[in-house]
Amino acid sequence: MIRKKVLSELIGELKQDPQIEHWHEIPEMEAKSTSFPENLDPKIIKALQHRGINSLYTHQRSAYEAVKRKENVVAVTPTASGKTLCYNLPVIDKFFQNSNARALYLFPTKALAQDQKTELNDLVDEMEADLKSYTYDGDTPANIRQVVRKAGHIVITNPDMLHSAILPHHTKWISLFENLETVVIDELHTYRGVFGSHVANVIRRLKRLCNYYGSNPAFICTSATIQNPKELAEDLLGEKVTLIDNNGAPRGKKHIAFYNPPIVHQQLNIRKSATKVVNELASRFLREKIQTIVFARSRVRVEIILSHLQELIKDEYIKRSIRGYRGGYLPNQRRDIERSLRNGETIGVVSTNALELGVDIGQLQVCVMSGYPGSIASSWQQAGRAGRRQDESLVIMVASSTPLDQYVFSHPEFFFSGSPESARINKDNLIILSDHIKCAAYELPFRKGESFDDLGAEEVEELLDYLTEMRVLHQRAEKWYWMNDAFPAHNISLRSAAQENVVIIDQSDVASHKVIGEMNTFSALTLLHDEAIYLHEGIQHQVEYLDWDEKKAFVRKVDVDYFTDANLAVKLTVLEIDKEKEVKDAVIQYGDVMVTAMATIFKKIKLDSFENIGSGPIHLPEQELHTNGMMIEFADHMFQELGEDEVEQVLLGLAHTLQHVASVHVMCDKQDIHAVPEVKSVHAELPTLYLYDKYPGGIGLAERIYAQSSIVMEKALHFVWNCPCEGGCPSCTGIPGSEDRKEKAWVLKLLSYLTEEENL
Amino acid sequence: MSLKKKLLRMKPGVKEEEKTIPQEPEDVDKFKELGFYPFYLDGDISYRRKVLYPFTEENNLKASLEKLKNIWKMDEAAHPLHFSKEVGNLLFFDTETTGLSTGAGTMIFLIGYARVLEEGIEVTQHFLTGPEQEAAFMGGFLDDFSEEDIIVSYNGKSFDWPQVKSRHAFLRRELPKLPEAGHIDLLHAARRFWKNELPSCRLAVVEEHKLLIKRHNDTPGSLAPLLYFDYVHSKDPFPLKGIIDHHEQDVISLVRLYILLAEKACTYAEHTSAAEHEAAAHWWESLKQWERAEHHWRLADKLADKPSSQRLYRMALNLRKQNKVVKAITILESLQAAKYPHAEAMEELAKYYENTEKNLDKALKAVETGLTSAAPEKTVLKLRKRRDRIRTKKEKTR
Repeated sequence: MIRKKVLSELIGELKQDPQIEHWHEIPEMEAKSTSFPENLDPKIIKALQHRGINSLYTHQRSAYEAVKRKENVVAVTPTASGKTLCYNLPVIDKFFQNSNARALYLFPTKALAQDQKTELNDLVDEMEADLKSYTYDGDTPANIRQVVRKAGHIVITNPDMLHSAILPHHTKWISLFENLETVVIDELHTYRGVFGSHVANVIRRLKRLCNYYGSNPAFICTSATIQNPKELAEDLLGEKVTLIDNNGAPRGKKHIAFYNPPIVHQQLNIRKSATKVVNELASRFLREKIQTIVFARSRVRVEIILSHLQELIKDEYIKRSIRGYRGGYLPNQRRDIERSLRNGETIGVVSTNALELGVDIGQLQVCVMSGYPGSIASSWQQAGRAGRRQDESLVIMVASSTPLDQYVFSHPEFFFSGSPESARINKDNLIILSDHIKCAAYELPFRKGESFDDLGAEEVEELLDYLTEMRVLHQRAEKWYWMNDAFPAHNISLRSAAQENVVIIDQSDVASHKVIGEMNTFSALTLLHDEAIYLHEGIQHQVEYLDWDEKKAFVRKVDVDYFTDANLAVKLTVLEIDKEKEVKDAVIQYGDVMVTAMATIFKKIKLDSFENIGSGPIHLPEQELHTNGMMIEFADHMFQELGEDEVEQVLLGLAHTLQHVASVHVMCDKQDIHAVPEVKSVHAELPTLYLYDKYPGGIGLAERIYAQSSIVMEKALHFVWNCPCEGGCPSCTGIPGSEDRKEKAWVLKLLSYLTEEENL
Repeated sequence: MSLKKKLLRMKPGVKEEEKTIPQEPEDVDKFKELGFYPFYLDGDISYRRKVLYPFTEENNLKASLEKLKNIWKMDEAAHPLHFSKEVGNLLFFDTETTGLSTGAGTMIFLIGYARVLEEGIEVTQHFLTGPEQEAAFMGGFLDDFSEEDIIVSYNGKSFDWPQVKSRHAFLRRELPKLPEAGHIDLLHAARRFWKNELPSCRLAVVEEHKLLIKRHNDTPGSLAPLLYFDYVHSKDPFPLKGIIDHHEQDVISLVRLYILLAEKACTYAEHTSAAEHEAAAHWWESLKQWERAEHHWRLADKLADKPSSQRLYRMALNLRKQNKVVKAITILESLQAAKYPHAEAMEELAKYYENTEKNLDKALKAVETGLTSAAPEKTVLKLRKRRDRIRTKKEKTR
């Protein structure tokens, strides 16, 4: 019989693999514990001891003490470090001091809320205390809702419910608002970008109502590792926050390997498929019954990897103990998978980032990531899934050939230097802000001179005046009253970026039309026009009819060998320049821009040969987007030797590079920021590159890129420089280089032009 | 750029509305024209209109309600429509609001209620002259409302009353406590009687078909919020006249509707149809009042133009509940002989033969009759199970 290999042997073997580009070891760490605080209620201590907890980790105690001092806290804790005690301990302690005290827990998703409720109830049961905790979400039955409103000591919900169900109906929640002592915000780092900006305003509304009902709750937040947890928390809460980062949880030795698949096409710099490599690597461990988690980028990938893994592994028993986990699975099925992972029945799991958040699945030994997850913070969260308290663990990241992945692989220091991305919000984005001012006015009339938390009374009044003119509010006797028959919270979604989305309806089954997705109007112009081929979870659909007025796209499943590519004529108008700096003969500006986009024609392109096999016109109205943008204006003479077409190619390459590098730098989704070149700009008639926020009013991304433009340019320069291709490739400049391979050289030239000056 | 200008640019298509310059005429006269008079409460002004509509000889609603009160008095089980206080304590209640959602931003701008007095129906309506006057407006209503009162509404349990509670919660520091009054919601009753008969149970539909009220040149209720917003801007209440009059008519309709429904439920009134008797019977059965229900079943059977096996089956069940076994079995046996036997009735009959009479042959025959009829799958499965069990039993006894 062949002896099973242990993890350390496999690690040794993997180290020898030539495709390993970087190997990093994180040493183990002993636990740092302290005793229970003296004033902690003995019942709590007894219950904890009963559960085998005889001391606290340093960070748990610090959090408890800070809350005792009536401070707001944000605790930064890696996966599996006992973060729930950071808030449960102070909350339960407050309950023992005052049995009327209420707490509100906010989790970004429903599933996490359910998890927490179970854990909390287990702990409370041990204490035999009459502390009632309930989840309140879309699934809560109507008869239970009454009970939750009146008697729930701890109400566990999500920001969306708070926004649309609790705050607008606050008169039914009076006992909660009057006695609210603590608000817990878990997974703080997920509240960034547009979503975070919305949530920050929901918090402003929450605080406003608390103030009305005479309570002043303290906030306890927990966050995964990001660069600026304290700043984000203070921004989100509009208050001073104490940072707790003295993590005292123990940790085993952790290996992190960067695996870059071999190049299979030298000139085009195309690598072996990451999915294949992931399958091979993961099956090595699974065969030896080493618990492994594989992270894939999309739901479809999960299914593909799962079926391949099951093919690769012959052992029937192991085959059955590999499961998938993704959104779209039913809650019960998910619970079952989580349980079987904890008790070891399931050896392998293939997941989307759904398992990145704090769902409790215990700790596995190996984590394989298919591609860079898009941000350092979520990489560390995924990596945190591997590593039991004392044992050795291994994390392998497999690169795909996208520029993002290759950038990360060529700059491991970017990953390990200990500065994960910072998370930003812009809660004063006008569109978002005015939406929430509406909701707030619906909830409670504004008084003259009233501020909106940290937003000054003057600005508030300007918005109120605007809404009064729009006949949404009515001013009487120094107060602004809601005077409209709408329910504003229903028209405002915290999660969607664009205000109005196109709903995608699959009518393949004539008897039952099904909504399969939605898309913002801007993207819909080029992806959902009549006759477009739209891919949904890997399945081709043809758009039969796009009802632009009703924002509905009717699609039907098809099987064709082409895809469609639409031309979008984008025009940028600079409305106002707020900031400006010169770099030699180039000018970098930041300000308000208006983007007008019109889809013109689409082409049908054959899948295998990329031949153009037909085209058609698109008849859709012009779209306008008013946002913030950054402009890089080059002097004409820099391009003297190039023709207009060539200039455009070079600028396109630069745009591609900057869009990727900048989105990594400001920690946003690639889709949140857009880069567009213009050979002759409208306002200055100069070759210009625009980078703008793809959300009405802007969310502060372009502003940040402007502020740190020299760093971004430098990063971009290094990245293109270090790309092994010759004249540009999909990984760096986005387009395969033309025959004389000028683009890459020119992109490098422009980038170094922009950076050198700054170094002087 | 100012915030306002920016917003206007970001939302193309929305034009600044022209400012309406509010004229400041004598409010009082305008309201008097509509029949509303100022009403002072702790220095605050609120407007209300009180009108008495005397009864005609043949249509004395007070007498009808007194009669009902006496009938309810004799009932041991509290029927949802019953009341035990004075007729004058019935408060036929309705509101008009600035929106259909029940959130904190929806206001009530019109509260109306009718009381039935000796000489006629007295309708009171309170009007909210502006959002800042809400305390006086609500105060005016509370002044006229006590714990002894019973609210009679149409869908008030899930809409109007929660809304009153929500508004009251805002003003709870300025107003007396909201009394915990009884509440009869006629929507539930109307649904019980007419769900299958009417296209919908909206009050307007019920009025038209059951109270035979036809309205002409009526302002649709859906316009109420918009007309009110216009009023708030223009200060001219006259365009709201249609809404206010409609609302007054609504609360008067509630009186007549209550009498109609209560008579159908607790008397054996002539205006009650076979289907309505069945509904009344179901309702009493849900309150475990088998004997009251039996009367309605019998009247339904008498009035119906054709016999119904479902009704007979229900009547048999009712009789079994009252332990009138022989009568029940007679009905069930009559059903067995019918051309299309009733499957559930056959199951019931088989149960009796099998368990009480211990006649397996008869039981088996009943089950088999049941299986020949078209029945829902659940019943068929139950019948099959019973058939198999009876057969096994028969084997054993042989």
